[in-house]
Amino acid sequence: MSSRSRDAASSLAGRIVVGLALWFAAATGHAQLRVDVTQGVRDAVPIAIVPFGGQAEGTATDVATVVANDLRMSGRFAPLERGDLVARPTSGGEIRFEDWRLLRSDFIVVGRVLPDAPGLAVQYELYNVRTGQSLLSERLPTTERGLRATAHQVADRVFERLTGVRGAFSTRIAYVTVDGRPPSQRFRLVVADADGHAPRTVLESREPIMSPAWSPDGRSLAYVSFEGRSSAIYVQQLTTGERRRVSARAGINGAPAWSPDGRRLALTLSRDGNLDVYTLDLATQVLTRVTTDDAIDTEPEWARDGGSLYFTSDRAGSAQVYRTALDGARRAERVTFTNSYNARPRVSPDGKELAVVTLDRGGYRIGIMDLASRNLRVLTDGRQDESPSYAPNGALLIFGTRDGGRGTLAIASSDGQFRQQLSAERGDVREPAWSPFATR
Amino acid sequence: MPGFFQEHLRPLAGSAGLHLLMVAVLAAAALRWTSSQPPAEPAIEGYVVDLPPDARIGAPPRSAAPAPRPKPAEPAPAPAPEVTEPEAAPEPEPEPTRDEAAERRAEEQAAREAAAAERRVQEKAAAQKAAAEKAAADKEVAAKAAAEADRKRAAAAEAKRKADAEAKAAQEAELRAQREAALQRSLADEEEGVALARSGVMDEYRTLLAQAIERSWIRPPSARAGLECTMYVTQAPGGTVLDVRLGACNGDEAVRESITNAVFRASPLPPPRDQRLFERRLEIVFRPTE
Repeated sequence: MSSRSRDAASSLAGRIVVGLALWFAAATGHAQLRVDVTQGVRDAVPIAIVPFGGQAEGTATDVATVVANDLRMSGRFAPLERGDLVARPTSGGEIRFEDWRLLRSDFIVVGRVLPDAPGLAVQYELYNVRTGQSLLSERLPTTERGLRATAHQVADRVFERLTGVRGAFSTRIAYVTVDGRPPSQRFRLVVADADGHAPRTVLESREPIMSPAWSPDGRSLAYVSFEGRSSAIYVQQLTTGERRRVSARAGINGAPAWSPDGRRLALTLSRDGNLDVYTLDLATQVLTRVTTDDAIDTEPEWARDGGSLYFTSDRAGSAQVYRTALDGARRAERVTFTNSYNARPRVSPDGKELAVVTLDRGGYRIGIMDLASRNLRVLTDGRQDESPSYAPNGALLIFGTRDGGRGTLAIASSDGQFRQQLSAERGDVREPAWSPFATR
Repeated sequence: MPGFFQEHLRPLAGSAGLHLLMVAVLAAAALRWTSSQPPAEPAIEGYVVDLPPDARIGAPPRSAAPAPRPKPAEPAPAPAPEVTEPEAAPEPEPEPTRDEAAERRAEEQAAREAAAAERRVQEKAAAQKAAAEKAAADKEVAAKAAAEADRKRAAAAEAKRKADAEAKAAQEAELRAQREAALQRSLADEEEGVALARSGVMDEYRTLLAQAIERSWIRPPSARAGLECTMYVTQAPGGTVLDVRLGACNGDEAVRESITNAVFRASPLPPPRDQRLFERRLEIVFRPTE
């Protein structure tokens, strides 16, 4: 035995002894009972949102109500009903934590709206009721008109502090509504706050409007409009209303999707005989064909790195999702295998999951497939759920569903634990698309 | 031979390691055993009576003053030079005078005077002696009284001390008995506790606690597999959570908030089936499986 290996062996033994001695010293140092907790629940966190000071009851934009509704919509919080509030503190110093502990509330938000020349300011605080610890305290300048947006901001901060996930309540949704019956139908492209408030029509037409898609900077929408009796793809700036027709080729122009860098659109064209996926450079108008299969290839979606596309194809007999790289060989590989129908792929913000419309036990439902394990879990239980779209924080999805023969919008948490229908507008509502985060 | 060792280095090291491990485990177990005993107290608290040194039996003799080091022999004094004293010649006696009568009278007179003087001296001495004797007697009486008083005081003090010592000894004995009884009880409890622990009641308590907290833990999305957070919890005997303190934790703020509240939400924590298994201090490890 060489002296080096002997040394190594003895030093190893020495280390083991020292390690054990230390471990025992630590183990005997405190006589405690050790308990391992490996599970948790997915209950909503009870939280009290106290009406803000400086706001009369029944005011137009009640900050506390907006915050409470946002948090409730996330499915992760259960705000106390206003009638159950035992007191109306408007600042941390006024909170008697024992009162709120009795209500079994874990957290409390208090605040007030103050005049702050030239406008207003919202001062709010978040406390842990159990420990009495202050978790957030902030003053946000705003205006009377901006009060709702500021309330969403408060909800975003509270959500992030308590879930570790950035709040997405200050984002928007786009969707299409249809009123009336053919031949006198009215189609509208609408943009609203993520909670469905403040809807604004950005395009109205007697011909179909389809497939709205947000640009990565959240400033523009690409969509399909049949206003010229045939389909064309437009890109419209939301602030100026200025719009540009980017594709009006013979046949079908459909399913626009923005590349992550916002410079290209992926789209579906039938100009070469059958439906195939192409990319279009928005600056140069250069069109590149991506798929060449004889089957229908449509509904493209960019991978997060912009290097490949997911799309729906019926090349194997029924609709399934495939993926193809954009450089080199462009051989498509099949991604979904679980059900006989999987379509309309949408990549989650973290790039790890794919939301699809899947045929599950006789119904078209929203499913989420883990891209690594290929496990598919079904989130919804409708019969004709369609158009899943992730919130930019990945916590929620919005999708179209049917309610009493009418199209409406619903929200589900991406873990499938929570579902809620959005208060429906008049008419048929369909094809929702959740905006990206506004640039911070 | 070197080949053999090299080949078997691993198993040898392993076996050495195992032996060391067993030794360490035993040592640690011994450590644990001793450390689980009640804090060390003197087995018997003796009452130390301070006796005079000479009354100590078997006490080592007071060490004599250190023997003086033998001084180096001093040089003998040089012999003094011998001086021969010349012997003094005796003085011749004076011759008596010859006037007999006058001499007798004078002698008688002198004798009378001498006797008187003698008497006076004797009287004075007697008086002095009487006074001295009286003073001495007085002094003796006073000294005797003082000694008596001292003795009485000492006796009283001694009596008190004895009484105190007896009372204290009795108290000590009682305490000792109580402690022994308590120790016996706790030993019995401990034995039973060990038996209970072995019988799975302890595991049951652990499971009860885990379930109560799991039902209360609203997991935030960031609490995924790989998370590990330790929470030190102090509970009152009724299970009311008194205090939580977060130890090592690789989770984010949301996770920390959620596990703190999970413990508070679970309060009061469930009691063990056997109250002797109650633990005031708990170490809760949050380690979710996906």
